[in-house]
Amino acid sequence: MYFPYFISYITVGFAISLVVLIWAIKTGQFKNQQRARFLPLTEELNVSAPKTSRFNRLETYALFLLAIAGLGASAAVLIAALLHGK
Amino acid sequence: MTAAIDDKIQSHATAKGFTLTSACWMVVGTFMGLLGATELMAPDLTENIGWLVFGRIRPVHINIVLFGFVTPGLLGAAFYYVPRLLRTEIYSEKLGVVTVIAWNVALVAVVISLCMGYTQGREYAELIWPIDIMVVIAFALVFINLVMTVKNRQEPVLYVSVWYVLAGVILTATTYSLGNVIWRPNSGALVGIPDAILLWFYGHNVFGLLLTPLAAGVTYYVIPRVCRAPLYSHTLSLVGFWALLVVYTHIGTHHLLQVPVPTWLKVIAIVDSIAMVIPVMAFLINIWFTARGKLGEIHADIGGKFVFTGTIMYFFVSIQGSMMALPDVQRVTHFNNWVVGHAHIGVLGFAGMITLGGIYYVLPYITRKPLYSRFLADLQYWLVLIGMVGFTVVLTIAGLIQGNAWLNGEVVYRILPEIHPYYVTRAALGLMVFVSALIGLFNILATLFFNTREAAS
Ligand code: HEM
Repeated sequence: MYFPYFISYITVGFAISLVVLIWAIKTGQFKNQQRARFLPLTEELNVSAPKTSRFNRLETYALFLLAIAGLGASAAVLIAALLHGK
Repeated sequence: MTAAIDDKIQSHATAKGFTLTSACWMVVGTFMGLLGATELMAPDLTENIGWLVFGRIRPVHINIVLFGFVTPGLLGAAFYYVPRLLRTEIYSEKLGVVTVIAWNVALVAVVISLCMGYTQGREYAELIWPIDIMVVIAFALVFINLVMTVKNRQEPVLYVSVWYVLAGVILTATTYSLGNVIWRPNSGALVGIPDAILLWFYGHNVFGLLLTPLAAGVTYYVIPRVCRAPLYSHTLSLVGFWALLVVYTHIGTHHLLQVPVPTWLKVIAIVDSIAMVIPVMAFLINIWFTARGKLGEIHADIGGKFVFTGTIMYFFVSIQGSMMALPDVQRVTHFNNWVVGHAHIGVLGFAGMITLGGIYYVLPYITRKPLYSRFLADLQYWLVLIGMVGFTVVLTIAGLIQGNAWLNGEVVYRILPEIHPYYVTRAALGLMVFVSALIGLFNILATLFFNTREAAS
């Protein structure tokens, strides 16, 4: 007999979710969504944007190399499959 | 607009405590991973050292990575952003610090007990009963602190990040209790198939109802801030939130497709695994549209860079996950290194990257000092990225070799030599990730304690 555990958990979970949903509707959580979009920005960004480092240029090359390697590996698999796969 | 509270008088002790916890345990967790990978490559390495055998190291690795590195890091960021989004102070820094201490005591107990061989032997639910209770209490304390902060808020509307973190914490406290069967302290298990179903309901909820919501919360806060742009759509974010709760809770049985569980349950798990595309894409579309045209700003901010990379990994892991839930695909990918590859894109590439991003984003705010070294943080970014992508490639190849060989009736021991080179590469990549954890710890310690520069305001 295991299902009483499962059923009671589902019931309790469902009930709590429903209560939270009703609370949210009542307190206007789903209203004024336009203002909500700005909530992370409502205070000053009081630390200056960090500077980029000398790593930046290297990074561009590295990303480029990674992409080429990835594409190269895919092309190699494709060519090998076409040549050898019968 | 200005903040209603004075940032200068806040200690941010809880956020600092969780951040430091995460940085320290990342070193331990990745070291255990490296040790495990080395043992797979050289199985006799720790011969006769009982407490270091693979069977004990692996659960230490996964438990420490989940509850020592990722969760505390994401909570550290949450303890900074939740009060700010609600325009209030955290309910109790004292309670927060007590929670951090309790959390660390529990983590020490995790390592000692598992290394000594005290385990309940169920994946992700290995911890013995007393530690289970400590974990549940720790989550409950976090929840009380956050919910009281919500109660004291001056901002009436809860931003989506607040929804995510509250849900993540309380759902984990409950599903953890259930999945660890804490009402049966001795075994920590039900019997037979129902136990497997319950375990994987909980097991998948660790990713779906803990790591994913906490990481989504950080992302929804950091990306608009870094881009200095409003969220693309708050309505869409709430749709994604409720969809995640409805869909994720049903998919645990996709871990048991090749087990005699009821077929109707498998069907639900498979259908909802595909339906996961809805919450995943609701989240990603929202974030990517917010970031549209602002990639330069994201690149310039180290926190933003980690977080954004994490969202790309979330795309890959989720699409891959939906495919892996299809029985035809899983016939090849189940029970081999493919799944380990998937796990690392998820936990390291998605949740881990966002954890580091959250830490690096909030660190200058909670310490009021600039990051000690941007160069070291960049280096860590690249080590984690290359290590993680490398894991994915080698483990996927090894998994395909294993899966296809077993489908063809090949025996296990004949395949082992074939995958050995991949295990060696994997251990080398693991070394990179471990080194990155050391670099991160140094950078975070230096920012917290040795940095004498003041933040430019
Ligand atoms: C749409 C989202 C996702 C789906 C449908 C999905 C699907 C799956 C499936 C079917 C498996 C079992 C594979 C097998 O045993 O054959 C699995 C394993 C796993 N997934 Fe995901 N996944 C998703 C997202 C994630 C995320 C976001 C994470 C991490 C944060 C993650 C972490 C893991 C881990 C760690 C395992 C290994 C479990 C084990 O130890 O066996 N997954 N996933």
